[in-house]
Amino acid sequence: MTENELANTLRRAQARLEDGRVAPFEEVFSAAAARVRQRQLRQRVAGGAVAAAVVAAVVVSLLPPAEPDWRFVDPETFASDTSWAAPSDVLLPERRFDIYDEIPVLIESTESDGGALL
Amino acid sequence: MRDRDVLDNNPHVSRSALEAIHGQVFGWALSRCNYEQAVAEDLVQQAYMELLTGKARFDGGSSLETFVFAVVQNLARGRFRRQATRMRLVHKAMPEDDVAHPDEPGEVDRVWRAVQQLPPRQRDIVELVFCRELTIAEASRVMGVSTGTGRVHYDRAKKTLKEKLGDD
Repeated sequence: MTENELANTLRRAQARLEDGRVAPFEEVFSAAAARVRQRQLRQRVAGGAVAAAVVAAVVVSLLPPAEPDWRFVDPETFASDTSWAAPSDVLLPERRFDIYDEIPVLIESTESDGGALL
Repeated sequence: MRDRDVLDNNPHVSRSALEAIHGQVFGWALSRCNYEQAVAEDLVQQAYMELLTGKARFDGGSSLETFVFAVVQNLARGRFRRQATRMRLVHKAMPEDDVAHPDEPGEVDRVWRAVQQLPPRQRDIVELVFCRELTIAEASRVMGVSTGTGRVHYDRAKKTLKEKLGDD
C-alpha cells in the first residue's frame, strides 16, 4: 500500500466516523459565546461583591469612633435616692461584734522595753 | 477578513476563518475523545471560549488551523490527565471493538484498526499528516513536540503500519 493509498483509506475511515457527528459551527460558537458571557457576568458579580466589601471595610475604618453614651447624674436626685449605712450599723446588731469588747492582744514588739511606745 | 468578524480579544482571528476550519477542528476533537459527540462538542466550545476571551491568543505565527488544533489538543490533554491512568486501565481491559471503528468492512477497517493499535503519539501524527493534511512540522506543533521528535514518531508509525499491513 502506498502512502497515498494509506492516506486515502484513512480519510475515508475518518469521514465515515465523523459523518453526522460534527455539530454546526453556529450552534457551537453561539454556545461558547454564551458561556463566555455567563462567566464574565459571574466574575463581575464576584468582583462587585469583593469591591463592595472593601468599600464597606474602608468606610467603617474611616468613621469616627462612636461617642460614649454619657449620662450625667443629677446631684439632687442622687442625694435623694441614695442612702448610706456604716458597716458597724449592720455588724453590731446582727453579728454582735464589738471591737471595743475584743481588744486584740498586742504583740511583743509593741510592749515597752524601757522606752516609750512609738 | 471583515472587521466586524474579528474576535475582540484575538485580532488575528475572525469568526468566518473559524467557521471555515470548523469541520476539521470538530473532527480532531472527535478523535480526541473516541468519537463521542457530546464530549467533542464541549471541547470545541471550550476552544472557542479560549479564543473569545483571548486566553489562547493567536499571533499569526502558524496557520489558524494548527493553532486551534493545538488548543483542542491541550484542552483534551488537561481534561483527561486526571483520568489518564484510569483510562489506560480501562483500555487495557476494554475489548478492541469498544474503540470507535468506521462501519465499513474490508480494507478501510483493516487499516483503521492498524492505526488504532499504534502508540498514541504515532497515531496522532498519522492522523494529523494523513487525514488532516498538516505538515510534519505543523503536526509536531499541535502535539507540542519538536519537529525532529515528530519526524521520529512519523517514521516509526509508517514503518509499523507497513509491517502490519504488509503482513496481513
